[in-house]
Amino acid sequence: MAVTKVVMPKLSEAMESGKVIKWLKKEGDRIQGGDIVAEVETDKADVEMEAFGAGVLRKILVPAGETAPIGTLIGVIAEPGDDIAALLASAPAGAGAASAVAPASRSATVTPSAPPASVMRPAAVTSAPAAAVAGVVQGQGGRVKASPLAKKIAAQTGVDLRLVQGSGPGGRIIRRDVEAAGSSAAPAAMPAAVAGAEFEDIPLSPIRAAIARRMPLSKAPVPHFYVTSEVAMDRGWELREQLNALEGQPKISVNDLVIRACALALMTHPGVNASLQGDAIRVFHRAHIGIAVALEDGLITPVLRDCHAKPLARIAVESRDLAERARNRKLRVQELSGATFSISNLGMFDVTEFSAIINPPEGAILAVGSVRRVPVVDDTGLGVGRRMALTISCDHRVMDGAMGARFLQDVKRLLEEPLRLLV
Amino acid sequence: MATHKFDVAVVGTGPGGYVAAIRCAQLGLSVATVEDDRPGGVCLNWGCIPTKALLRNAEVVTLLSRAGDFGIRVSGFEANYAEAVQRSRKVADRMAKGVEFLFRKNKITLFPGRGSLKAKNVVEVKGATATETIEARAIIMATGSEPKSLPGVAIDEKTVISSNGAVRNERAPKSIAIIGAGAVGVEFADVYAAYGVQVTLVEALPRIVPVEDEEVSKELARTFTRRGVSLKTGVKVASVKPGGPGVVIELEGEKLEAEQVLMAVGRSAKVAGLGLESLGVQVERGFVKVSPHMETTVKGLYAIGDMAGAPLLAHKAMAEGVVAAEAIAGKSPRPVDYGNVPSCTYCRPQIASIGLTEARARENGREVTVGKFPFTANGKAVALGETEGFIKVIADKATGELRGVHIVGPEATEIIHEFALGRTLEATLEEIIHTIHAHPTLSEAALEATLAALGQAIHI
Repeated sequence: MAVTKVVMPKLSEAMESGKVIKWLKKEGDRIQGGDIVAEVETDKADVEMEAFGAGVLRKILVPAGETAPIGTLIGVIAEPGDDIAALLASAPAGAGAASAVAPASRSATVTPSAPPASVMRPAAVTSAPAAAVAGVVQGQGGRVKASPLAKKIAAQTGVDLRLVQGSGPGGRIIRRDVEAAGSSAAPAAMPAAVAGAEFEDIPLSPIRAAIARRMPLSKAPVPHFYVTSEVAMDRGWELREQLNALEGQPKISVNDLVIRACALALMTHPGVNASLQGDAIRVFHRAHIGIAVALEDGLITPVLRDCHAKPLARIAVESRDLAERARNRKLRVQELSGATFSISNLGMFDVTEFSAIINPPEGAILAVGSVRRVPVVDDTGLGVGRRMALTISCDHRVMDGAMGARFLQDVKRLLEEPLRLLV
Repeated sequence: MATHKFDVAVVGTGPGGYVAAIRCAQLGLSVATVEDDRPGGVCLNWGCIPTKALLRNAEVVTLLSRAGDFGIRVSGFEANYAEAVQRSRKVADRMAKGVEFLFRKNKITLFPGRGSLKAKNVVEVKGATATETIEARAIIMATGSEPKSLPGVAIDEKTVISSNGAVRNERAPKSIAIIGAGAVGVEFADVYAAYGVQVTLVEALPRIVPVEDEEVSKELARTFTRRGVSLKTGVKVASVKPGGPGVVIELEGEKLEAEQVLMAVGRSAKVAGLGLESLGVQVERGFVKVSPHMETTVKGLYAIGDMAGAPLLAHKAMAEGVVAAEAIAGKSPRPVDYGNVPSCTYCRPQIASIGLTEARARENGREVTVGKFPFTANGKAVALGETEGFIKVIADKATGELRGVHIVGPEATEIIHEFALGRTLEATLEEIIHTIHAHPTLSEAALEATLAALGQAIHI
């Protein structure tokens, strides 16, 4: 019988390590292929791990509560008679212990993920979980064009190739691109924490670490520009109240109206639904919209796919479901990436307006403020109206101010003539 | 005096100049070229090509003299050196005609004569009978280089010769001292030795082919010594004077006599008398300073090839010619990757290398892994009866990046390109070993050397 290695799966391109939340099987339990053996917390979500081989869970190498870099052997499934001594000996000593602490500095957690050279991988042993899951991510994220050397350096230094601008022919990522990304992304090593009353160092949660790592990758290399517009939401508000009064229909939020408006506008302004890919601009024909959801310890942007093809009610149902599962950390892998545009809404915090940071490789993000009751002047004189500020942050390498403004104008028109959102 | 107007004028039609001219023409520009010799420059007429013809002769002579190894008894043969030189002239003529044909095909106008800059967009051509003026939107200077000598030693091309004389002289001397054991020095040493000339190779640095990997130098020194070439390394030449059979060369504490001395101590760029100074073109350490797109410090004026800096190699000049042409045509060409220029020497065994030597690769403290495979263990090499030499692959230990490759052996100059391509594509050791190499070929040694770097060589 084959010995099956249970390794920390790579659940997203940006994932570097994962934490075993709990083992659902104990050592000695018999396992069928497809059984859920453990739950893993990644930088984005909690994920159940399926077994890809049958046998007995012979050994748990990384106990619950501990973190391990991706690719680390965390358990072994084999028949009772199989000799797994060699495999255990080859596992990094104290795999769990070495990385039990949350990542204080990135390099510390990344270096143990040493087996990048495939020649070192024992051929007879299957490492199915990592391969299978990685396949899913690759399949929907598209092929990353990178040189073999660039891929190797990225694997060794923990650079997410999807966030790297390729400077080779056709946008191919080459060594110098990865090295540049690595040096700009590597945070300075944190000085040893000093115990004292003056301050407290809270280790970064995986999600906060991911944000800390990814945001500078956007703000520094992506030249942002911002366009703000004010939308009269009186009619939109009225329509929403009417819709929500209908029995048996899902509740519609202001944000759902904005998602729908953006999806429609993205179809008429494909230049905004675009991403810089080396020396080409990739224009998407489908609107996959990332919806920023605030969590206690961070922010996550699950993706609502094909918004352009979904009626308002469906957008409302699905976005609520996504947000809820995001808060409960129950998102599926494929919901974590692939957005072509994002929306961040801080309306519930009584925010007049703000601007958001683009989530590369997307080309733009829309920041949505509160719907405020403000004095307005119209033909009849002074009155009270509902107004909402929208600010779009655009990647200037992909689009220009006028393009962003025209898109925003269309979103505004759709929201101000909200029946358009229903047809 | 007529003035002609063109988009581009190219001064010098060596490998850099003629390639630049053709690429400009391909891109729809009207092109004038200026040449005071035959098209093709030193490379086609006096360098690369005729010497390759001479080296082929040397190879045939050597094969005939060891015909017995193949069970072929040759009862006396005469290797006529004059005919070898005549053959090499024919080869050079044919290649030069080829360039003239390419010029006609691409509608490139050739102005015979000496070109110099009158303004940043004006070239004056002094021909045999008339002086003409070319006005061009952009000018590419590609005037090349000429052999250097040592201070106080004048090249007369009679007893003190340069490669220019060596490639023309139809009479081989009885003995020759070659000063400088770089590519030119060892190639002529090979030719002369095959034709029975008593050769002494003098090198100031501690080893012959000093820019190559140390093990390569050692291997070549071994076979040269076996073939009766006398090597004097780590010695400086104090003086070269007439005397004895022709010249007397005073080394540090030693005197050397020979009929001729060949100065092969390097080449210097031809940057004088071209009008560069008056235009304010910046020249640094004897070479014209250029941007990554080969533009000099004067806008619209480009310089390529030997005059634009090291390495002084024809293929580097050609690559620069393409970059300059495309830049002029408004494209944004990829600059030449100077770290990835193969270097080839055509003595027997041949030498080819790319990237860093082992010593250089270890300098910065990065860990490297080295794989070496000898041609004695390669089936094709044994069948050919050419088993001298080896392939050495130097890779970064952590990533498998190909840092340098050094080949000494049969057809080394052909084998190097899989590594050049590999490096361009940023392949690592793994991509090379997963590339199936046909059997039996000399290139299998490239696969084996790569495997050896991973501790997996099969055939040794």
